[in-house]
Amino acid sequence: MRTIFMRAAMARGAGFFGFWLLLIGPNPADLVAGLCAAAAATWTSLRLLPPGGGRLRYAALARLALRFGQESIMGGVDVARRALSVRLPLRPGFVVYPVRLPPGPACNTFGALTSVLPGTLPAGVDHGALLYHCLDVEQPVAVQLAIDEGLLIRALGGTHDDT
Amino acid sequence: MSLVLDIFTIVAVSAGAFFFLAGTVGLLRFPDTLTRLHALTKADNLGLGLVVLGLLPQAQQPFDVIKLIAIWLFALLAGATVGQLMARVARRERPTP
Repeated sequence: MRTIFMRAAMARGAGFFGFWLLLIGPNPADLVAGLCAAAAATWTSLRLLPPGGGRLRYAALARLALRFGQESIMGGVDVARRALSVRLPLRPGFVVYPVRLPPGPACNTFGALTSVLPGTLPAGVDHGALLYHCLDVEQPVAVQLAIDEGLLIRALGGTHDDT
Repeated sequence: MSLVLDIFTIVAVSAGAFFFLAGTVGLLRFPDTLTRLHALTKADNLGLGLVVLGLLPQAQQPFDVIKLIAIWLFALLAGATVGQLMARVARRERPTP
């Protein structure tokens, strides 16, 4: 267990430091700051997402990324259309979505992903369900959310009860 | 080739600016905090994505490409996180049925 933890810490630390080097460049005077940033990022990552969880499925993750891209374009176009329309077509309201993902990082990831969906914005948790604020409550919001959640569950490696 | 890339940059960055403008119009016209958050998070996310996409062909080094994409991803992550937190506070101040 301890070796798994150490190996994950080393791999993540190296990844974060490598990413920092890519962004800032290998200037010797900056390296100390980079090491501190990488250490802080590793500590946070190990705390929020301990090693040994489910395996990521990359095919499902790629499909999720593709859908995320399409949805962010549709979301931006949708809100721009409403903002610039003379009639200002809004029917705002709340939709309660009974989320299948367990509370924690997976559920938070779902909230962040779905905040780009056209017309929806996660606005809190209500008795285990996610509460979404919608620009237009007549849109099929829950159907879209269910498709996203299914993709995320598959990307995280299987059924909803092993994350 | 360089002309084609320049035209691509101009079109993509202009489209990005258009979405920033639309987001700002939404911020001014939408009726309350929650609807305004929609305008900011979604339109600006797409606007910044298009600006970054337009600037990619102008990058001098491969590192600049990675930097530009990282900036977009960080802004996306920050927008998605902060947008949700602000929505929670706004909802608490105006309880729903």
